[in-house]
Amino acid sequence: MSLIFANIDVAFKALAPRSSDWLSITPEIAVAGLSILCLVQAMLLPAKLRWLISATARAGLVLVMAMALVPHAGWKLAEDVATFAGLLRQNLPCEVRLVFLFSALLTSFVADRFLRDRGAAVADYHHVLLVVTAAFMLLVQSNHFVTFFLALETAAVGLYILVGYLRKSDASLEAGVKYLVAGGLSSALLLMGMVLVYGSLGAVGIADSLNFTQIGNALAAGKGSALTLAGVALILSGAAFKLGAFPFHTWIPDVYQGAPTPTTAFLATASKAAGAFTLLLLVTGPFVALAPKIAPLLAVIAVITLLVGNLAALATTDIKRALALSGVSHAGFILAAITAALAMPSVTAFDYNAEQTIVFYLLAYIIGTFLTTQALASMPAPEDHRRPILALRGLMRRAPILAGALGFGIGSLAGVPPTVGFIAKLLILVLLVKAKLWWILGAALISVAVSIHYYFSILREAVVRPSEDGQELAPLEVSFVARFVIGALAAASILGGLLVLS
Amino acid sequence: MDTFPATLLQVAITAPVLIGLILIAGRSLPRSFASGFAFTGFALPALIAPCLLVLWINDATSPLQFRTDGPWGFGFALNGLGAPLLAMTSLIGLAAGIKALTQDVEARNTYLGLILFMLGGTLGVFATDHLIGFYFFHEFALIPTFILTLFWGGEGRRTAAMQMAIYLTAGAMASLAGILIALDAANLSFANATFVNVADSLGTAKNIPAATGALVLFGFGTLASLFPFHSWAAPGYSAAPTPVSMIHAGALKKFGVYGLILLGLSSLNISQGTLGSWFLWLAISNVFIVGLICLTQRDLKQLLSWSSVAHMGPIFLGIWVCGASGKAAGLDAAAFLMVAHGLSCAALFLLANAVRQRAGTYRLDELGGLASRTPVLAAFFIAATMASIGLPGFGNFWGEIGVFLALRAQPLWIQAIVASTVIISAIYALRAVAATFFGPTSAPLTARLETAPCDDINWIERIAASILLGASLTIGFMPSLITKSTNPVSTGVANFSQRTSTAPAAKPAAPVQSLPSAR
Repeated sequence: MSLIFANIDVAFKALAPRSSDWLSITPEIAVAGLSILCLVQAMLLPAKLRWLISATARAGLVLVMAMALVPHAGWKLAEDVATFAGLLRQNLPCEVRLVFLFSALLTSFVADRFLRDRGAAVADYHHVLLVVTAAFMLLVQSNHFVTFFLALETAAVGLYILVGYLRKSDASLEAGVKYLVAGGLSSALLLMGMVLVYGSLGAVGIADSLNFTQIGNALAAGKGSALTLAGVALILSGAAFKLGAFPFHTWIPDVYQGAPTPTTAFLATASKAAGAFTLLLLVTGPFVALAPKIAPLLAVIAVITLLVGNLAALATTDIKRALALSGVSHAGFILAAITAALAMPSVTAFDYNAEQTIVFYLLAYIIGTFLTTQALASMPAPEDHRRPILALRGLMRRAPILAGALGFGIGSLAGVPPTVGFIAKLLILVLLVKAKLWWILGAALISVAVSIHYYFSILREAVVRPSEDGQELAPLEVSFVARFVIGALAAASILGGLLVLS
Repeated sequence: MDTFPATLLQVAITAPVLIGLILIAGRSLPRSFASGFAFTGFALPALIAPCLLVLWINDATSPLQFRTDGPWGFGFALNGLGAPLLAMTSLIGLAAGIKALTQDVEARNTYLGLILFMLGGTLGVFATDHLIGFYFFHEFALIPTFILTLFWGGEGRRTAAMQMAIYLTAGAMASLAGILIALDAANLSFANATFVNVADSLGTAKNIPAATGALVLFGFGTLASLFPFHSWAAPGYSAAPTPVSMIHAGALKKFGVYGLILLGLSSLNISQGTLGSWFLWLAISNVFIVGLICLTQRDLKQLLSWSSVAHMGPIFLGIWVCGASGKAAGLDAAAFLMVAHGLSCAALFLLANAVRQRAGTYRLDELGGLASRTPVLAAFFIAATMASIGLPGFGNFWGEIGVFLALRAQPLWIQAIVASTVIISAIYALRAVAATFFGPTSAPLTARLETAPCDDINWIERIAASILLGASLTIGFMPSLITKSTNPVSTGVANFSQRTSTAPAAKPAAPVQSLPSAR
């Protein structure tokens, strides 16, 4: 920090965290504490009681979710209150915490059985998962590029581990390496961008040119130079990488396909959410003065992202790969909402503003993704990274509940009424109509129609009656936990949308 | 007392859905119990909806009746178009349900439950005045349609279901975009998005984007198999199990037409200007080109599927002429034809399946001479065919003649083309009857009948067919049952659609709004 203080006492008093600062990140601290508790339990508990580890993690996550829902709590600050000497600020609605917590909770449900079947350690997985979750929760509150980068890298390192978690599987390790290389590139872009912004704004006398508030003020005062713009572009590229937007989407199919299925789901939901929220945070926060330049760029990227993901997914025959590429077009939908928020800051859809709409879209995406993931994880597969669509044949006979899970999940991802995914898409379409972004609206509608082909081909194989000569397959056992998750999410996929509209 | 019919309306729509839900959840319920339970679900709407139609006509002074406000704006209400369509749907549903109960299929309870879902959704479509609710119920009915086709369907089900899914989603997305843009232009909130309010607000709105009408026309048109977006329909109906074809081709497809009338015609003037001439040409293609396609069919179920697409043509023409020249009679006739076509088309699908059960095939060149073995089936089939080609006495007659009369002020060549289709449809329909029931029995059929002799249709099938044909005869002899209900709406729509061509000061009230609305 380039602030200069008369002596250390003054500096300490000015910068030392207040108790209310600590209170404001209680949920994050709780999640981090839970992650350590996982390791402690792994050391202390006898083998018989090992099930307690994931149970504690889940119970803890549910508690923290309940905390996040308490109105007017100390961990929900007004927008203009910065904490920790300006390092953190809750610019986004507090519900964004729910997105990460919900995703982590569901990942834990899916991962438990999945890892035990493959002889991988459950405790370590939960530990890393919770660290990443806490880091994501901090990331979206950051108000300073130091916290931003630290949180982002903490999460990224954790995700490298989770992607390469199945050490006996070549595919998992390969995906881990690919993710490491691609992630390293994005971190480098981000860091380079920060340096350019820091340098170019510092040169014109900004005291702390890594602080979002000060960057915002400087840019609003027109102090940015061409170098600043280049820096902003690089930073946004880093965020677009996390989100998986064009042209930074190329890593997604390989990594999602190779990663262990629970990690794929976590990567698809929590990491995409982090990308979405950081992008939203940056373009509506420090870089808002550049909105006239950024909005057209985002609009073009949104259109391409929407189309590219779906068109590429048309040609795939693997479920995980198809879902990965469909995730790219979901990123396009989120980008469309961000563009709408930039083009018309006051835009609302049925009384929900753009931020709330994105939160809702992500929650709907989580429901759809985890329904599908749970169905995949409950199906036997000799190799986790090879899940051909044709292997679904006869699922309706073998395990109707899994076919049902795919029905609700894929239906929600595809945006078929009356699922929550439809309502979420509807809200974003309304935002686009109100902001008069007709090109994006057209691309969004076309992409929905195109996406039906691959979504429906997955569903078709699961539901269609096998031809008479096909061999009969034995019924599948579906565990109680899987049934519980599927039932709860299926109910949420129908009721969620209605609740939002009421 | 006043709320009693409204409660009945709610029961008619929720009962099939709830019973369907229980049947799907209770996959192992005993067969006899499930049958009785499912029958209740099919029969309740069929008991209620025709009574509601009669009640509606008795008090046709109010444009919107039996209104209830459900949560989330999904209230139910019947307007003058919805009442007859609801009655038609309920009767088709009962006949389809009876057919489904006689079928011996795998996972029978789930099958029945899904058909009940489909029926409930289709009923809901015609019993809501809320734009989004209307859209919602349609998709609610479509999802079971796909599952039913995929798992219980016949030959070609995988391709047909995929084609149907893509076309219908594209159509639904286009119409959704149209709906959203219209709501935006009308400056209406979600909760107030009723047909009445939309038509009323769009009447005064200045800045409706030009594309809105096109989106609505092609979106809803695709769902109603308007040429050239019709190619999903015939394979889709052919591959589906018979009860599903009956409900889909007979009732659910009318969703698109209903949307065209209540949103396209009464709010967006789709019959005028450039878009109007597009609409006219496409509707003519529906009657003429699809009619020619029907002539080439060699498979009984395929032929019925294609002819149900061809028969949408006169319906579109009736709608077009109402908007283009303000002839309420055109819309009356179109609405009449919607009901009559639904009944005759469902009856034909039902009876064609009875033919297949006896002959083992739908291929026309492998049939023949069945009339001597199954005279009653032949009689029913001929009656249904006569109904579908518009013989006087059946409902279709009033619909078709009404459309022709409404088109009388149009250029002669239009009338000539439309009239020629009457001949075409008579040719293909009667040829199918001849190839199935008369002439020499084909060699494959003779061989089959030696090993598996067939009986005439049993009393259950007779009841199901009689319900549909009886309803068609009833409206054929008492057309006022339908016209009394539709006339207030069509007069309103006809006046309303002419508002741009009359003096701006004389803006008539919105069609279904001309009397105090219940909200």
